[in-house]
Amino acid sequence: MRARNLGLASCHTCGLLQRLPVGGHGHCPRCGSSVHLRKPNSITTTWALLLTAMIAYLPANLYPVMSVVSFGKRQSDTIISGVIYLFVHGDWPLALIVFVASVLVPLLKMLALLYLLLTVQSRSPLRKQQRTRLYRIVELVGRWSMVDIFVVALLAALVNVGTIATIEPGTGAIAFTAVVILTMFAAASFDPRLIWDHNGEA
Amino acid sequence: MNQPVRLEASESTLLACHECDTLHRIPPLTPGHTARCRVCGAKLLRNPKGGLDRAIALYSTALILLLLANAFPFLTLEIGGRSEITNMAGASWSLYRAGMPELAVVVFITSIAGPGLLIVCSLYVLLALRLRLRVPGVRLALSWLSHLEPWVMLDVFMLGVLVAFVKLGNMATMHVGTSLYAFVALIGVAAAATSSFEPQLLWQRLGVRRRR
Ligand SMILES: [Zn+2]
Ligand SMILES: [Zn+2]
Repeated sequence: MRARNLGLASCHTCGLLQRLPVGGHGHCPRCGSSVHLRKPNSITTTWALLLTAMIAYLPANLYPVMSVVSFGKRQSDTIISGVIYLFVHGDWPLALIVFVASVLVPLLKMLALLYLLLTVQSRSPLRKQQRTRLYRIVELVGRWSMVDIFVVALLAALVNVGTIATIEPGTGAIAFTAVVILTMFAAASFDPRLIWDHNGEA
Repeated sequence: MNQPVRLEASESTLLACHECDTLHRIPPLTPGHTARCRVCGAKLLRNPKGGLDRAIALYSTALILLLLANAFPFLTLEIGGRSEITNMAGASWSLYRAGMPELAVVVFITSIAGPGLLIVCSLYVLLALRLRLRVPGVRLALSWLSHLEPWVMLDVFMLGVLVAFVKLGNMATMHVGTSLYAFVALIGVAAAATSSFEPQLLWQRLGVRRRR
């Protein structure tokens, strides 16, 4: 039995199950948040955020996220070249973690959201459990992509020794952060209950 | 105001899975147990071990560690006979100085302000419930917590520190400061604190009565 069929919805903030007035919107008697049968405009909002993230993904990878200025020489690193540097100079396990967090995760996350949106819109009855699990993973791992931004911030804070060496954050860092934040909001605005809604019931 | 669904003479909770909308009647959980959705496997409700006291102890420890982590030097870098000391706030300050205030704000929120607010709000709610204090803003603090959680990135920041270490390893000497030790301890304590905290159970204690 699903809550929707009984006109019930649980509050997104506190979890209280409640009977919604006709129209499907109201306020939670326990925490005061607004409660909806489904997140309002879920599909449209997710699409908008996802497409913006995809556009920002280009400058995020094309522009340098940081530059090392040493004895008058400047060397710039993008997200990808930073990972390659780690593979060449650093240790493998760490390079692999950073590759997953900053290259694979953002890319797969956007593809996963795209897949979830398209299957919900085409009312696909297939693999509901797997799609719900996919959504759960997307929600969970997105934040790890911020690691590169923290690295840049820490390096810029530490390496600021006048003419010997200075590390400057690059514009790519802003675009990359935008990708991470936009996809986090996109995942939050997607309503996984939509995956289960078209069961031949309405 | 909506009508809450009430159960007659029963200690069990009626819940709808927030991922697939399946209705569940959940009997009282023994401490340390988690109820999961039988259709999609999502977590429905947890009853953490140790009750409020354990959560209060862990969040108090986390607060002290967060203050320590911000009070002392975090890392020191030596290069060409000169040294540069940075603290936790140095990471976001360097972005601000480089003309990226928006990025500085994101780093500040995820590494300092977010964790701080999360710990303080959690303690406020926990203490109000434990000591049965009628203080204002308990419901507000508790509803902030659920929105704040994804923006607290202490663990990700720690991975960033590791990567920075490796990247600078062959160009300079790095020294670990007092704050970094406090920070590492904070990661562990914060994880334990999160698992000792189930907002839904705290909401159940607060009940549906609400003043406007
Ligand atoms: Zn509520
Ligand atoms: Zn479920």
